[in-house]
Amino acid sequence: MDHTELLPLTTDAAGERRAAAEIDEVDLTPVRTYWQLVRRRFLQHRLATIALFLMAILVTAAVVIPLATGDAFGRTDLTLINHPPSLIAPLGYDNIGINIFIRLMAALQTSLMVGFMAVTIIVVVGVSVGAIAGYVGGVVDNLLMRLVDVVLSVPSFFLIVMLVAFFQTGNMWVVVIAIGVTGWTTAARLVRGEFLALREADFVQAARALGVGHRRIILNHMLPAALAPVIVAGTLGIADSVVVEATLSFLGFGIQPPNASLGNMLTHAQDYVFRNPILIYYPGVLLVLVVLAASFLGDGLRDALDPRQRLEA
Amino acid sequence: MADHQASGEQSLLVVEDLRTHFATADGLVKAVDGVSLSIRHGETLGVVGESGCGKSITALSIMRLIERPGRIVSGSITLAGRNLLDVSDAEMRDVRGDSISMIFQEPMTSLNPVYTCGDQIEEAIAVHRDVSRREARDRAVEMLAQVGIPDAKRRSGEYPHQLSGGMRQRVMIAMALSTNPELLIADEPTTALDVTIQAQILELMKALRERNRMAIMLITHDLGVIAEMADDVVVMYAGKVVEASDVMNVFERPHHPYTKGLLASIPRLGEKRERLEVIKGVVPNPLNLPSGCLFKRRCPSRMPICDVAPPFQEIAPGHVSRCWLTPAGEPPEVGMAPAEDVAIEAAEALSVAS
Repeated sequence: MDHTELLPLTTDAAGERRAAAEIDEVDLTPVRTYWQLVRRRFLQHRLATIALFLMAILVTAAVVIPLATGDAFGRTDLTLINHPPSLIAPLGYDNIGINIFIRLMAALQTSLMVGFMAVTIIVVVGVSVGAIAGYVGGVVDNLLMRLVDVVLSVPSFFLIVMLVAFFQTGNMWVVVIAIGVTGWTTAARLVRGEFLALREADFVQAARALGVGHRRIILNHMLPAALAPVIVAGTLGIADSVVVEATLSFLGFGIQPPNASLGNMLTHAQDYVFRNPILIYYPGVLLVLVVLAASFLGDGLRDALDPRQRLEA
Repeated sequence: MADHQASGEQSLLVVEDLRTHFATADGLVKAVDGVSLSIRHGETLGVVGESGCGKSITALSIMRLIERPGRIVSGSITLAGRNLLDVSDAEMRDVRGDSISMIFQEPMTSLNPVYTCGDQIEEAIAVHRDVSRREARDRAVEMLAQVGIPDAKRRSGEYPHQLSGGMRQRVMIAMALSTNPELLIADEPTTALDVTIQAQILELMKALRERNRMAIMLITHDLGVIAEMADDVVVMYAGKVVEASDVMNVFERPHHPYTKGLLASIPRLGEKRERLEVIKGVVPNPLNLPSGCLFKRRCPSRMPICDVAPPFQEIAPGHVSRCWLTPAGEPPEVGMAPAEDVAIEAAEALSVAS
């Protein structure tokens, strides 16, 4: 039989279709696309919706305000020391005459950037390692998972401190990479576990029986199904990374003044904790908001993306 | 079946002495141990047997989809003159889904939940054919219509979870047939469906078989399905073929006690009987197979000679059975030399050609 061309089909399909329509009860539910379903499910999750809204505000503020105010986040004006709030300084000025609100937004920008970049590294490395380990299995799986064990056995925070101190203290990219190379292990384990299960899944077997290649099976068939836990891990990873960056900066290993980060603002505020305690709350509350928003976002996305969970119409 | 022996060369698929073993922690499991069968163009071969007798492993071996710790140890699988055990992995991928397609038992989970039905059929086409997206899409809709899905264009945009089990199996069939395969392996295609839907799917497969002139290897434990669909039947037990013939012989003149047992355990309308016959016992543990005949522990006609592995004897033209009973079903004469291994091998070699 010649396989280079598709054989023409006979044209009595219409009659058959009619016959089949009589057999199968026709219950045409309105067709919704995958993303419409995801959106519906996400919006039903009230906390996640609020978190998304909050995250959108935070990200927008962190992008727009530093862009509009340029280098104002580091400019001191000695005539405005401890000046009370006003229209251009909603939170007033601190004890060296810096506009607190503008500095806070610059700090938020740094922290969010560190968070998102570090998570990008974590997800890319973690998913690649986990997918290969889970799909190939055997010796490869064993080697990669022992590598994960090695990375996990090193206290990650001290490794980060060491990396940052060794390379270039104060450089944001060093912080990002240090968090990334120590943080990918959880994602790798999650994806490996999903892949081990998915490798046996009927639809993966069916794809193999159709002659689909390895790359396509991994990328098109297994990855989408394995994505839900990665997304959750990723969004939680944002929260973690922001906290780690703040901790590093608080200890003096992370972002250095005059650059702003939530961590070094806390350090600064600590020095005035008795005279002006409110200075601690601004970066502190912002940190909590970022972490909460990221966590609830992850929760909502997990519920919404899970393709196995059917929406009750 | 008269041309059974002569038709060897016209066979589409010839499996000879296939052995697929699994090296488990508890020992070597010979899931498929010397299976031979052949399928001619356009023929439907039924493969019957209880759970765990090696039917599905035979099918997966033909597709070369056996994974660790399993391994095809020996044998040959010849599709249209080419031994599939010799081709590279990449060539094998071209065979899968193109010359041979397979449909699975579980339509509920065999479709990828994150793609629409249309997307998945398109992929099946795009993997093997150099067609544009649009052509693939048109073909996918045609295929859905061909398998009797109403409003095919619209349905092609739906996700598997929006379809019923019967509908999903139709989509699976559409996918499998979208490249006009010469051989369709159907592994218990109707087991997970309820009875009315089963009948529809079988009707559909029959119609498509005629239209596409393809051969079907139908794996099932349901003898009703075999009677409905198959031309030839292979009965498997504990990794071996125990009886093979055309469907009439198997149903009307079964020879092997296992086949007889299977047939006796089907309830029949109009027959007054207190209890349904069953085959006593269970399939032997593959790690601890009996010596001699594998069925002897459960066999009602067990004889002393059954401690020696029975030969594959041709009891009638085109009808072979792995049992010591004579073609007439009598115990063999005492003194028939069981040690004549040469004769046994010759008998097996003969059966391979069938």
